Amino acid sequence: MIAIVRSEWTKLRTTSVPWILTGIALVITGLFILLYFVLNGQTGGGQVGTGTDGSFGLPHPGYPHTVQQLRDLLGRGLGAYIFSLLLGVLIITTEFRHKTVTTSFLATPRRSQFVIGKMIAAALAGALLACIILVATLLGAGIAIAVEGGSFTALFGQLGAVAPGMILVFVLFALLGVGVGSLITNQVAAIIICLGWFLILESIIEALWHWTAKWLPSGAASAAANVTASGRESTFGLFNWWQGSLLILAYGLVFAVIGSVVLARRDIT
Amino acid sequence: MTSAIEIRSLAKQFGSIRAVDDLSFEVAQGRVTGFLGPNGSGKTTTLRMLLGLVSVTEGTATFGGTRYVDLDHPIRHVGAALEATSFHPARRAEDHLKSVALAGGVSLSRVDETLEMVGLTEVARRRVGKFSLGMRQRLQLATALLGDPEILILDEPANGLDPQGIQWLRSFIRNQASMGHSVLVSSHLLSEMEETVDDVVIISQGTLVLQTTLADMAAQAGTGTGMRIRTPEVRRLTDALAAVPVAWRQVAVDTLVIDGATPEWFGPFAAHHQIVLYELINERGSLEDVFLSLTQGFDAEHPPGADGRSGQSAPFHAPGAPT
Repeated sequence: MIAIVRSEWTKLRTTSVPWILTGIALVITGLFILLYFVLNGQTGGGQVGTGTDGSFGLPHPGYPHTVQQLRDLLGRGLGAYIFSLLLGVLIITTEFRHKTVTTSFLATPRRSQFVIGKMIAAALAGALLACIILVATLLGAGIAIAVEGGSFTALFGQLGAVAPGMILVFVLFALLGVGVGSLITNQVAAIIICLGWFLILESIIEALWHWTAKWLPSGAASAAANVTASGRESTFGLFNWWQGSLLILAYGLVFAVIGSVVLARRDIT
Repeated sequence: MTSAIEIRSLAKQFGSIRAVDDLSFEVAQGRVTGFLGPNGSGKTTTLRMLLGLVSVTEGTATFGGTRYVDLDHPIRHVGAALEATSFHPARRAEDHLKSVALAGGVSLSRVDETLEMVGLTEVARRRVGKFSLGMRQRLQLATALLGDPEILILDEPANGLDPQGIQWLRSFIRNQASMGHSVLVSSHLLSEMEETVDDVVIISQGTLVLQTTLADMAAQAGTGTGMRIRTPEVRRLTDALAAVPVAWRQVAVDTLVIDGATPEWFGPFAAHHQIVLYELINERGSLEDVFLSLTQGFDAEHPPGADGRSGQSAPFHAPGAPT
């Protein structure tokens, strides 16, 4: 299995798509951070402190400095888990698009092994993407805070609280992506379905039936990202972090199992 | 003689189409077997069933009794080159081979070795999308050779190769056989392979037509002789032929083929009737003729007569029949 994962990793890094996806994810994260600073600059100036920094009653500086603000800022890139999902979808559908699946199945004729190898490689890629985004956020936002006279170390100090949840969510969505891709092997169809679901359908369903929110992948992602705040009940009625994680994992596995069964019967002509 | 590949009562149903039906044959160890048949006769489907890519409807296709999926590290035993399109265009040739070697449990040192064997060392770092069809065929062969397999399966490897490429392919295949490897090579043209193969398996419409050695087939080919005659006086010649018990057919405006005729008989016959001849060719039946007559009319992509190849497609006339 290690050999199959190494093979998948080689396939992944020797095409440009993962790098392009990472680039787009970084740009979007950068925009989110910029937006945060713009909004924060407008509303944060006259806020009253909560006492965490011992300056109760005094006007706060314009840059983020409370624990929650710093964590929000570091977690700006969380929404980029969509790219982790797409990475998972592409890692498997590219094989069908370019018909490289023939060669892959000759080397790995057991198709469930092929899907599992893809899942492990996608999970690693998802974790790496989360790390890249975290580092970029830390550097970008940290420098911006430092320029405004704030503390880079304070932001860095919150990394341990934000990183585990974010890496977890990215890994889970990469797995979900491979699951979806193993079932819907047509690359264009799989991407359209994923984007259609996360950008349009999900918010419609959530708006129509509020109770569905915690059962939907996005809600589960928000819950799973909360890994370090375990025990604290979310105000949106979401699951706690491990319940949310299990839910995403379950979605991914359901797709992957059905996908593997369908793939095992499929004729590669 | 032991068999490297055994196909037993193999069948494949695609919806309402029986692509392969009750097909049985064997590939002998250490020999080159040509797997021949017109386009659409079920060659590729058979090979893909053998390799576990297409599910088997009935029967078995094994390597000495073991299915491909049950082989331990299959690419170390069986190397297959199936189609020239199956590469990611943005991936470099050596990265492609590296990913296959890793998945197949093959030493990475084989990557450079196989690139060298097929003469692609200089383009190892080039993206496959920039490769010509011939280079892709070579890369496909390199992929098949990665695991240093004792059995090679090549599906239409000559497609897209220039004459030098085909020459190279032939010596490559013979070289594999000289190392004791077994080779199963498919083609829709026997002439492409007749200098290369030891045995032939001919299929048509998914069923076996003939399994024999090339030597036996050549012996059979030698019996089908005739004369090809070009003359400006076709009408006078056919009138004369009406009086003798020979079969003939018109293959062009000014050309006839007379079955079973010899120059010793036809020369005096033409002289006696004072018929002007432009050309007089003693035709020995070629292997290709035998192949075509065995698979006549079953080419799914090229209906008979469309390609104008030899007189086979012209209407046959009994002696004395009106032209």
